[in-house]
Amino acid sequence: MIEMIKVGRSYLPDIQALTDISFAVATGEMFFLIGRSGAGKTTLLKLICNMETPTNGLIEVAGYNINKLKGKKLAFLRQKIGVAYQDFKLLSDRTVAENIAISMEVSYKKPQAINQRVRDLLDQLQLVNKHDTLTCELSRGEQQRVTLARSVANSPRLILVDEPTGNLDASTTERVMELLTRSNKAGATIVIATHDESIYRGSNKRVMELRDGKIHSLARSNH
Amino acid sequence: MNFWFTVFRQAGRNLRQTWASQLMTFLTVSLSVLIFAFFSLVYTNMLGAGSRLNEDLRLVVYLDEEPGPEMQEQLRRKIKKFDDVEEIRFISRIDAYYRFADQLGKDSDVLNDIPEDFLPASIEIIPMKSLRGYNQVKLFSEYLASLPGTEKVQYGQEWVERFYYFTKLLTIVVMLSGMLLILTAVFMVAYTIRLTIMNRQDELELLKLVGATNSYIRTPFLLEGILQGFMGSIIGMSALYALFRWISFHFTGPGLLNLFQFNFFPPIVILGIIFSSICLCSYGSYTSIQKFLKM
Ligand SMILES: Nc1ncnc2c1ncn2[C@@H]1O[C@H](COP(=O)(O)OP(=O)(O)OP(=O)(O)O)[C@@H](O)[C@H]1O
Ligand SMILES: [Mg+2]
Repeated sequence: MIEMIKVGRSYLPDIQALTDISFAVATGEMFFLIGRSGAGKTTLLKLICNMETPTNGLIEVAGYNINKLKGKKLAFLRQKIGVAYQDFKLLSDRTVAENIAISMEVSYKKPQAINQRVRDLLDQLQLVNKHDTLTCELSRGEQQRVTLARSVANSPRLILVDEPTGNLDASTTERVMELLTRSNKAGATIVIATHDESIYRGSNKRVMELRDGKIHSLARSNH
Repeated sequence: MNFWFTVFRQAGRNLRQTWASQLMTFLTVSLSVLIFAFFSLVYTNMLGAGSRLNEDLRLVVYLDEEPGPEMQEQLRRKIKKFDDVEEIRFISRIDAYYRFADQLGKDSDVLNDIPEDFLPASIEIIPMKSLRGYNQVKLFSEYLASLPGTEKVQYGQEWVERFYYFTKLLTIVVMLSGMLLILTAVFMVAYTIRLTIMNRQDELELLKLVGATNSYIRTPFLLEGILQGFMGSIIGMSALYALFRWISFHFTGPGLLNLFQFNFFPPIVILGIIFSSICLCSYGSYTSIQKFLKM
């Protein structure tokens, strides 16, 4: 699903956010990305969804060189990629339901289907009573879950999640992971960037650690 | 189906968020449509009146003496030398006298003491339709004036001249007001749409990220432009029509307006103005949204 070969990304003046990153994520895999703050996790996710362009190297998503895609093709591919941003990117003057619906509206899903899906997700994330609340009135943990709900709502093939559990207690974290696991079982490829060791420990999933923008290790977490 | 549902909802959101500037734009567009249409209306009516005046355009050449049949033939030849004419009519002094008496009607007895040959003989010339341009008529009259034995040539010079320059001036005014319409429609709409876009930058950016196609983002704004153009021109034209009715109502009766036969635009012109206004406004909104999409 994701293919990266010798990818680097630098920022002016001379910040080398990522250097020489090569790895692949198989279709249907759940993949963890860890590393200290500033290691380059967010940058890597932004490269995968074409929010940023690499300074060098090749990135392929679902067989497409994502940096060469334009217009309609890029839009259609992005409809198949759900992203839960670390900074949420919620529309603060819209309700929770409207925020989640956005990702489905752009692919012209039926309003009833959207409604149903939104309620379903809110139920799974324990936000049912927040359906009509403006997102600016939510706590950070709630906002985080709304972002997550939006990223999975349109049943994308690839889900990129940046720090999904940073503001959550243990039981809510578990619910979030349940939701992601369910999407994964339904066939979605998932990449999760996290500091939270608890969510991958003992899962037997592959975990890649970044350190100063380089791959430090890539192994299964079987202990 | 779902496409239009989302498009209309989006357009509704835009209208709600920036309704104040939308209203301003809408009023400006209506006003410029009104101004442009008003001058066009005056202009077309002027042209109509002009061609009607042209219909009975005749040149009258006053002669210093009654021409004999020989002389008439000579003059006829001289006149036709300049250009073919529709008709040449010789009016003798006596003819002129009786005509005048006819025109006086009941009051014709005032002429009783006046000799029947007090009016000069004249030639009435109706020029060919092709010779109806103002400058040509002028040249023709100068030519006639240079013929031997002519005293004076009349064709309502002053009136024709004034009319001619007035239509010229009106052409310029119509063009200027047309330009005003284009500027306001394109730029005001482009400006309001840009305002909306800036207001909702975050949302539009997010839409791009979640995979909205350009047409998904663009269509609501285009719709807004179309709406502005449509509403603006409808209101502008209605205002003009109301004004037209008011003028016709208050100024009917014998007078200038009867001479002009003030008419409103035919439906095809009305549709044309509405259509152009829609095109201009959607073009304005298109440029703005395209600028954003290219970023
Ligand atoms: N737009 C940018 N301009 C300049 N430097 C940037 C930019 N984005 C990221 N960086 C730098 O790249 C490095 C990696 O940042 P990144 O956000 O990927 O870290 P991270 O691993 O996600 O950290 P955290 O765990 O805190 O979210 C940092 O040193 C950051 O300062
Ligand atoms: Mg980060």
